[in-house]
Order: sequence, then C-alpha cells, then structure tokens
Amino acid sequence: MSLRRLLLRLPRYLGVSGSPRRLWWSPFLDTISSVGSWRGQSSRSPAHWNQVVSEAEKIVGYPASFMSLRCLLSDELSNIAMQVRKLVGTQHPLLTTARGLVHESRHNLQLRGLVVLLISKAAGPSSMNASCQNYDMVSGIYSCQRSLAEITELIHTALLVHRGIVNLSELQSSDGPLKDMQFGNKIAILSGDFLLANACNGLALLQNTKVVELLASALMDLVQGVYHENSTSAKENHITEDIGISTWKEQTFLSHGALLAKSCQAAMELAKHDADVQDMAFQYGKHMAMSHKINSDLQPFIKEKTSDSITFNLNSAPVVLHQEFLGRDLWIKQIREAQEKGRLDYAKLQETIKAGKGVTSAIDLCRYHGNKALEALESFPPSEARSALENIVFAVTRFS
Amino acid sequence: MASCRWPWRRCCSWRPAARSPGPGSLGPRGPPGPPAAADDGVQMSYFNLVKSLTSAFSNRYSMSRFHHTTSAACCCSKTRSGEKYIDPFKLGWRDLKDLYEDIRKELVISTTELKEMSEYYFDGKGKAFRPIIVVLMARACNIHHNNSRDVQADQRSIALIAEMIHTASLVHDDVIDDASSRRGKHTVNKIWGEKKAVLAGDLILSAASIALARIGNTTVISILTQVIEDLVRGEFLQLGSKENENERFAHYLEKTFKKTASLIANSCKAVSVLGCPDPAVHEIAYQYGKNVGIAFQLIDDVLDFTSCSDRMGKPTSADLKLGLATGPVLFACQQFPEMNAMIMRRFSLPGDVDRAQQYVLQSDGVQQTTYLAQRYCHEAVREISKLRPSPERDALIQLSEIVLTRDK
Repeated sequence: MSLRRLLLRLPRYLGVSGSPRRLWWSPFLDTISSVGSWRGQSSRSPAHWNQVVSEAEKIVGYPASFMSLRCLLSDELSNIAMQVRKLVGTQHPLLTTARGLVHESRHNLQLRGLVVLLISKAAGPSSMNASCQNYDMVSGIYSCQRSLAEITELIHTALLVHRGIVNLSELQSSDGPLKDMQFGNKIAILSGDFLLANACNGLALLQNTKVVELLASALMDLVQGVYHENSTSAKENHITEDIGISTWKEQTFLSHGALLAKSCQAAMELAKHDADVQDMAFQYGKHMAMSHKINSDLQPFIKEKTSDSITFNLNSAPVVLHQEFLGRDLWIKQIREAQEKGRLDYAKLQETIKAGKGVTSAIDLCRYHGNKALEALESFPPSEARSALENIVFAVTRFS
Repeated sequence: MASCRWPWRRCCSWRPAARSPGPGSLGPRGPPGPPAAADDGVQMSYFNLVKSLTSAFSNRYSMSRFHHTTSAACCCSKTRSGEKYIDPFKLGWRDLKDLYEDIRKELVISTTELKEMSEYYFDGKGKAFRPIIVVLMARACNIHHNNSRDVQADQRSIALIAEMIHTASLVHDDVIDDASSRRGKHTVNKIWGEKKAVLAGDLILSAASIALARIGNTTVISILTQVIEDLVRGEFLQLGSKENENERFAHYLEKTFKKTASLIANSCKAVSVLGCPDPAVHEIAYQYGKNVGIAFQLIDDVLDFTSCSDRMGKPTSADLKLGLATGPVLFACQQFPEMNAMIMRRFSLPGDVDRAQQYVLQSDGVQQTTYLAQRYCHEAVREISKLRPSPERDALIQLSEIVLTRDK
C-alpha cells in the first residue's frame, strides 16, 4: 500500500472532516495578524504560520510528513488502523488523537521534525568534515539527520497517544461502555509502544551512542512532563495545584522543550559539530519550544471573536502568572466567584484574568524566550535555513 | 508452515507415565537421551516434529504471554556436570547483590509518586531469573574466551537493562490485560490508575535505554532494541488469531519467542558480544537463551492449568480468561476438535473457560507441552555444552532443568 493511499484512507475511517480542527498545542492559524512586526526585521517576514511552514519545507526539500515509510507499510499499522476504526462512535480520547494526527499530516504541521531539519541545514557540515564523508547529503542535510527528525516525531506522537489513556475507575456513565474504554486503552498502549519501538530501532541504526543517550533522556523528560500535566490538572473544584511560574517553566521544559532541544543537539552531534554548536542548537530548540507553548496558551485570551463556549487550561502560562501576581487566596476566591453550581464559567474567569497582569506578562515571557532563541541562532552562519528558523520565532511571538 | 503436518494422531499412542496432571508424574520414562528402541517409530516421528519445529523457528521468534514461572513435573535427566549440585541462583547472585538498588539508581526521577511507581517491582522480591542467566552467561563466555572469571561492568549493566525492559513490558501488559495482581501484590494500574501506569512503563523503558546507550557499544544497542520491537510485535500477534489449526501452533511459538525468549536470547548474545569476539560463541549464547526462554514460557503455560491460585502470585486459567489458546489447549484441541469453536471465539461465552479447562485436563495437552519444553531444554543444554567447562556453564545447564521443574 502506498504511503499516499494509506494517508488518504485513514481520514475516511476516522471521519475527519475538511475543516481544520485546532490541536491543543498548535498556534491558531488565522489569528496571527500581519500588523506590528515585532523586531522590526525585514519586510519579508511572512504573515501567516502556514506560509512560514511551507517556505521552510521548500528549504529542507520536501513536505514534512514524517512517519517512516517502513513503519507505515508494516502490518502492525494497518492492524492499528483497523482497531482504531472500531473506536469510532466511542468516546475514547485515542480517536481524537488519531484524527488530530491525520489532520496534522495532511496539513504538514509536524513542527519538531521540521525544526530539526532546518537546524541541520543551518549548521551545515562541520569543520571536522572527514568523519562525515561517508554520509549522503540531500538539500544540505545528512540522511542520518533526516532519520533523526523522523525519530523525534515518532517519540512525540507516541507520547501524544499515551496521553490519551483513560483511568477506568474514573469513568462516568456518560463516557459509554466500559469495554470500549478498555479496548481503546489497549490500542492506545500498543500503538504508542509500537511507535516507541520504531523510534528505538531508528536510533540503533544511527550507530551513535551519544545520540541514543540524548534522545532516551529526552524521552524520560517528556514522560515526566506528561506526568506533571496529569497531576497538576484541575480537579473537581477547578482548583489547580499551587505552582509558581518557575515550577511551571521547569515542567513545561520537560513536557515541551526537552524533546526539541535535545533533538537539535543530537542533529549537531550527528554532523560532528563541537560542543558550542551543539549547545546553541539546544538553546534554540528549548526557547523556541517554550515560546511556542506560551503562544498556544495565550490563544484563548487574545482572540477577538467571542465563540460560543470557551475553555482554557487552568495550568496555562497566563493563568499561572495571574495567580502568581494575585496570590493564592485571592485567586481561589476568583475561581469560586466564577463558579455557578459547581460549573465553571470560563468566560467570566477569562474576563477576570484579562483584567489582570497575567496576559501581558505571558506575552512578555513569550517574547523573552523568542529573543533567547534568536540569540542562539546568531552563532549560525546566515542562510535560508537560518532565516526560516527566525521566521518561525517571529510567527510565534507575534501578537496583535 | 504448510509443510509441517504434525502427526499428532500417531503420537497419541505414545503416552508418558501418568495421565493425571499433578506435578511429579509427568515426563518420559526411561533414560535421558535417545529414545528407547521399543517406542522408536512413534517417538522418532515426534522428535522429528519437534526438531523441525526448533529449527524452523531459529530465526523467527515466538512469544507467548509473560507469566511468572510455574512449576511442572520433574524431568529425569541428570546434571551433566558431575556430582556436585550447584545452585545457579546462589552462583549468579554473587554478582547481583545490589541489582535492585542499582536499578533504582537508574530511575532518576524527581517526583515522589512517579519514582515510587517505577520502583514498585524492583523491590528485591522477584526471582531475577533473567539477570541470573545473563551474569552466568557472561562468566561462561569470559571463561571460554580467555579464562577470565570476572564479569565486566558492561555485562552486569546488561543484566540490569534486561530486568528493566522486562519490568516495563510487565507494567504495560498488566494495563492491557486489566490485571489486578502480580507477584502477590496489587498491580501498578490498580493502585495508581491506568494513565500513570502507562507512563511508569515508558519511564522504566527510557531509563533502560539510557543505561544501554552508556555502555557505548552500537552492536549491543542494536541487539537489545530488537527486543523492544519483538515485545511489541508479540503483543500484536496476540491481538490477532489464526483460523487454520496448523498455523495456530506456529503462531503460538512465534508469539512465545517474541514475548519471552527474545529478551533472554538477545541479552545472552549481548553479554557474549561484550566478552568474546568469536561469533560462534555469540550464536551459542543466543541459542541457549532462545531455547531456555521458550521452554520457560511453555512451562508457564502448563502451570496456568496445573497449579492453584495460592501458589502463584495471580489466579490461574488467566490465559483462557484472556481468550488465549496456549500450548496445552492447542494440543488438547487435536483430541477434542469441539474446542475449535471455543478457540475461535476466544473463550468468550459463559462456561467456555471451564469447559476448556476440563478438556485440557482430560487430554494429554499438559504432557505434550511439557515434553516439548523438555526438548527445548535439551537443545539449550546441547548448545551451552559447546563452551569450555566452568561452574557457570554447569550452572546454566542446571538452570535449564530448574525451568522444567519449578512450581512458581
């Protein structure tokens, strides 16, 4: 089965409709306006996110659909696709994840892999060229670096899938039959494990133990980050754990920054760049990922239009900052005031937060990280690839 | 596998000593080694069958579900090494004294609960069967190569890594099977919930990968990442089932390899790679691990039928209840074709599990499976005997017999 046919079939199984569905981590495409260039950079700065992405893809040589061919053509994946199909009609989160992934691959939103490719190209071959002479290079990127980009996406996707496991003891009757959830869990675990196994195999093929160590430690970070997401999420009374912004940053680094940062570093290691270059790549990856996450957290607070039902994550950057300014007690009071018969009036809480300093300081924080990312890029020679990386930063730090 | 027409009907005329499934009463009569002349015709065909099975699967791996070790009837082959009985566990433990503590050191986790979950099974109560094999194999290979009796630090790491990979897969398997107890205590998923249990499994796996990378040997990394892939493929094999009876057995053995034997085979191979440059030795180590691993699982599957729940850490007929048709069931099905329908529907109707149990206990399924396990053990012994004699080599021989006679 060709790659194209497989990707074409999956959406039909999953009932993916044409209109793009917002993923929790992706910047909202149509609200990034072109007014107010942030750093006063060249007038060529592209306005829209997808324009940034499609230009970047041209630079790296092909659209960023990263499921490795071998992985996609395997029996297991058709098995998985069939099993996921059985979940249509149930409420298991895996279905949402799968739809999101299919949508993403259609619209080429596999950001991490794209960044790894770009930074590989931006760094170019190292001065210690001798050891890389046997690697083949296409569009300025070594094949091992392309492989690494795939592996990064595999790890990210695996944990995305594992995030969707449900606790059976917490199910309500509105969630549907228990056995559907059990089945969904089973498929989610197996699919995630399958992706991880493919990632491990890919890593072994790179024949570089330092890279294996980097990505394995990134996986460990990511798992801990996901664990924190679960634990600190709001409970029944909508009260989250009392974490300050510095703890939030640590946890967000684990759940969003570590994978990209360490992958970028690993890409440099594959080309045998020295420790300084590796560190700069790490810094870019880390800060870019942080600003991306903060941007995504800010979306519910900066959108102009008032859609019907608004919700937001109570552990997102603006909310955590708002709480920090206000102090815990006052924040809890505000939450209670926004509650009606146990249900949280998000619109009301949103107004309260917008009235405070949370949103503006989140924007500042986003720009701070964006700045750090750009600083890290300065040590790379100017090139198309480097500009593309800069444009990505501009796109995520641009607010109306 | 179409060429392998198992002559089970012919084999029915050959019966081992007793028909009852109690421990201690199974196993072939007569001396170990070549079959007795009187039964030559029938036994030879069976031996050929099994030989063809063992050679057919030399490069394809079967795995069956991970269970704890279970006991079986005694095997009457003597130890090859001579008079002195060496306890392989005692011998191996000398190198593994701080095994669980060292594993816990690899689990560098800041959050208390996550750390607690990840360390849950590394409490020193497991038998550490896999690490024991690994260190014994390490020494046996080192001695064979240059008479060195030391275990290298890297080889010891493999023991840790093997145990960690095994545990990670157990944690995930328990969520998949919705198991409530293991090793006499509640499972991670029952205590902390499914979401966290899956993350704990991922964490242990990532810690194992980091330790693996630190060894700094790309060959060893390739060998052990193969295990991770095999474990997942084994679970997938279990999801599907084969319509054709002949394919079922091959499917079962392949699953058995992937889920159980691959880890042992590849860990043995990895330590041999670290200790000795000779590829023939690597192959010996691999074959030993593979054969012992398959035997281990076959006996496990037998014990699911023959032991009662207070001896094991978990209730029995677990496999049937999960819809799995293991060795004893597949053999029994030859005698009682009415089991086919139950196998196809994975014992899902009420009363299926009990009926299947009855059929198995009435048939010689248990005996046949045990016999098959013995054959695999003999093959393992044959392989390992090619190494230079040493206490560790003899311990490995001993171990293969313990595999057959354990009861938990």
